[in-house]
Amino acid sequence: MTPAALPATVADNENVNAATGTPLTASATHERPASTHLYSRFCAFLSKASLVLAVIGLIGLILCVQFQVVGRYIFNDTPTWAEALALQLVLYVTALGVAVGVRDAGHIGLESLVSLLSEKWRLRVEIVIHGFVVLFGALMAQSGWLWTTLKWSDIKPMLGVPVGADYLALVVAGVLIVLFSIEHIVALIRNEEVVPAWN
Amino acid sequence: MELTVLCISFAALLVLGVPVAFSIGLASVATVVYSGMPVAIVFQKMVGGMQVFSFLAIPFFVFAGELMLYGGIADRIVRFANSLVGHVRGGLGMSNVVGCTLFGGVAGSALADVSAMGSVMIPLMKKEGYDADYAVNVTTHAALVGVLMPTSHNLIIFTLATTGIASVSVFSLILAGIIPALLLTACNLGAAYYVARKRGYPTRGGFPGWAEVLKAFLGSLPGLLIVVIILAGILSGIFTATESAATAVFWAVLVTALVYKTLSWKDFLKACAKACKATGVVLLLIGISSAFGYFMALYEVPEKTGELMKSVSDNPLVIFFMINLLLFVLGTFLDMAATILVCTPIFLPIAVQFGMDPVQFGIVMLINCALGLNTPPVGVTQFVGCAIGEISVGQVMKSILPFYSALGLCLALVTYVPAFSLWLPSLFK
Amino acid sequence: VEFRSADVHNSDDYPTVAAVKHMSEVLQQKSGGKYKIKVFNKSALGTEKETLDQVKIGALEMNRVNISSLNSMCPKSLVPTMPFLFNSIEHMRKVLDGPVGEEILQGCEKEGLVGLAFYDSGARSIYAKKPVRTLADAKGLKIRVQPSDLWVAVAAAMGANATPMPTGEVYTALKTGLIDAAENNIPSYEGFKHYEAAKVYSKTMHSMAPEMLVISKAIFDKMSKADQDMFRAAAKESVTFQRKKWDEQDAKALEIVTKAGAQIVSDVDLPAFKNAMAPVYAKFINTPDLQRLVKAAQDTK
Ligand code: NA
Ligand code: NA
Repeated sequence: MTPAALPATVADNENVNAATGTPLTASATHERPASTHLYSRFCAFLSKASLVLAVIGLIGLILCVQFQVVGRYIFNDTPTWAEALALQLVLYVTALGVAVGVRDAGHIGLESLVSLLSEKWRLRVEIVIHGFVVLFGALMAQSGWLWTTLKWSDIKPMLGVPVGADYLALVVAGVLIVLFSIEHIVALIRNEEVVPAWN
Repeated sequence: MELTVLCISFAALLVLGVPVAFSIGLASVATVVYSGMPVAIVFQKMVGGMQVFSFLAIPFFVFAGELMLYGGIADRIVRFANSLVGHVRGGLGMSNVVGCTLFGGVAGSALADVSAMGSVMIPLMKKEGYDADYAVNVTTHAALVGVLMPTSHNLIIFTLATTGIASVSVFSLILAGIIPALLLTACNLGAAYYVARKRGYPTRGGFPGWAEVLKAFLGSLPGLLIVVIILAGILSGIFTATESAATAVFWAVLVTALVYKTLSWKDFLKACAKACKATGVVLLLIGISSAFGYFMALYEVPEKTGELMKSVSDNPLVIFFMINLLLFVLGTFLDMAATILVCTPIFLPIAVQFGMDPVQFGIVMLINCALGLNTPPVGVTQFVGCAIGEISVGQVMKSILPFYSALGLCLALVTYVPAFSLWLPSLFK
Repeated sequence: VEFRSADVHNSDDYPTVAAVKHMSEVLQQKSGGKYKIKVFNKSALGTEKETLDQVKIGALEMNRVNISSLNSMCPKSLVPTMPFLFNSIEHMRKVLDGPVGEEILQGCEKEGLVGLAFYDSGARSIYAKKPVRTLADAKGLKIRVQPSDLWVAVAAAMGANATPMPTGEVYTALKTGLIDAAENNIPSYEGFKHYEAAKVYSKTMHSMAPEMLVISKAIFDKMSKADQDMFRAAAKESVTFQRKKWDEQDAKALEIVTKAGAQIVSDVDLPAFKNAMAPVYAKFINTPDLQRLVKAAQDTK
């Protein structure tokens, strides 16, 4: 069996529409055409770019932690910035991953009642759900900005970057979440499907 | 009153179908607004919750799991398990249980386990004439063992959730999980065999002989070594848990790219991308659960729950039963990480007060949460299993009872017999 | 009104936790029930850094933190954090009760925090598997320090290899040999059971960084002058209470660890350690203001 034949993994959405928690089997009821309008292509680009940056961050994370081990055992000099940098990176990897998860419908929820509704009402409820996600994203960006400005003059020990940089990740995630959720709402209204940019 | 706002808004959002993490987040926001505090506090707690050094192990374990999936380690483990128990009645089911346990040792989560093993085993079982519901149940339940096996990020989440209540080391928790994991495997084997007999599944071929077993074992050995690296690294003090997880990623790349030569550059990038998305999903839940936990502390939910439970009974056996029951109920609709982070501060103090060791409590909690991964309405391993098996959650319920019973039996044993979890760590004291 | 005060310590009877509760009783009595304080310990509201920020945005009224948590915000808080600044616990108490202490308490007002009191946190010393009497003993030692630039610099000045890690991992790390040493006061050495993993406690007493109780400036400024004075007086009373409790706890912890077989090493070459700190002072005490305060502290008899 080739690796390519192995499908579903953790955040895989070819097989599970995890945002609603319903397995999309072969007999799935709503197969909609993919969104290809300009805004959707813009979001696809953002999503791909975010994921590329997140991948770089993830590899950076691993290198940081490995470097710490090497420093401790080989040079008998533990690099004190490594842990601080790793903690900074993980926030950005998470922020970008969260946002792409919103676009790719990768977050886990339940759909017990919604699935009982008629197609028309179901559509409306899904729009409301994405509306709530927009709200959360907006609050995240706003609060993130508040903390960023408040903590910008406070410099982190060992790394020399502002503590506010931690919260800047929230602003990034919040803005992307809002953009991607709006894309979903537009797609629902146009009876289209948002297709993940990179799987 | 604030608590009512918190609970009702959370339940309403969840029922509406808002993803769990966002439901928790918005419920917290609603509570903050109601009590006149700044909204920014929710997001401060969220960032604080994500930014814990030990949580770095999570992206690493997820990443290593993805690499093993793409790099063919899962296939080799299946081959080994099959050579070992494939000839027993319901043989593929048995191989599945053994395979999932082994892969559970190397993969970080039950979800990684079910997607890796399930995508190999479920189609295979269906082709050999097993019913889809049986194939899915065997896989999803066997995958739960991964929650307790050493490279589980849930163990790490639990140790962090105990901060401020008890000091539980990752070290002792890892050791404590091993025997319950084996116990759970035995229970799963029993359930798989029972259903196979009842449905009259065929036996298939004979025992291939030890030479064949050895060959298959050697084939899977480089992959299985990951668990050895992690265990030995932590137990000997060469690495912290986080460093071992990062080393596991290195090893996974090494094995799949250089030893097996099955990992292409494209697959590597895909594994990276999936790991990032999964990290986002898991860490968001962890972060937002810490915000939720902040309100629980602020409104003294742990104390109030404790008082309530003590007013019902002061018999430890009854208290432990109630804890299990409540954890089960919460686990049906909460995600695992969220359950651990929200419930540990509530139930751990009570359990300790009634004489349960925090380490034992951790294992009880993890088994309970694992059970929740396979219960509707929110059961992520079940979703993935069903998706791979192309059946509905309703269909899978047909043969689930023996498996639930097996899990329940294991849970009861670990809850009421401390030795199952505490004996192994006691040897290393 | 009920004010909320955060604390990270687990025990409900920990000296700082008990002291703020004591302050609440005093306040209730003096104000005829107008003011009281509810303590949220066990890090229920977050880490010290988080709760300090909560105070800044007005989500929390009071906070008890170790002074090192304030270092990156208000420079003057660095002074009592400096290594080998105080000769003894008595010296430390005298300095903090005097004008130097008063100036440091007021030093955080720009950050929206009013300092009310200093509490004792004892003296931090190094513990390892072997005695640390001289700089030569400290050389190359893999020692866990709190994650801050100052502590990394102090360890480096001793010639040790500073390894920052979270408190929760220290026990296992000592046990497995990932690190050789750690440093803390006796009650923590006992409380975290680190004496099981590192049997020799050498009284280097390199830091006597105190704890500090702060209140939100926005809230404090709204009070009448009389109420403000009442708060300060109640805080002062809680200091006496806390010091007594601290001394008791210190003695009890010492008894527990020695009974358990820990070895306490007292003949440490303190002058040599103190001299080695010159680069640390040069790096961190870098304004005339800070130099003046350090000198005033050293000159306090
Ligand atoms: Na595992
Ligand atoms: Na569930």
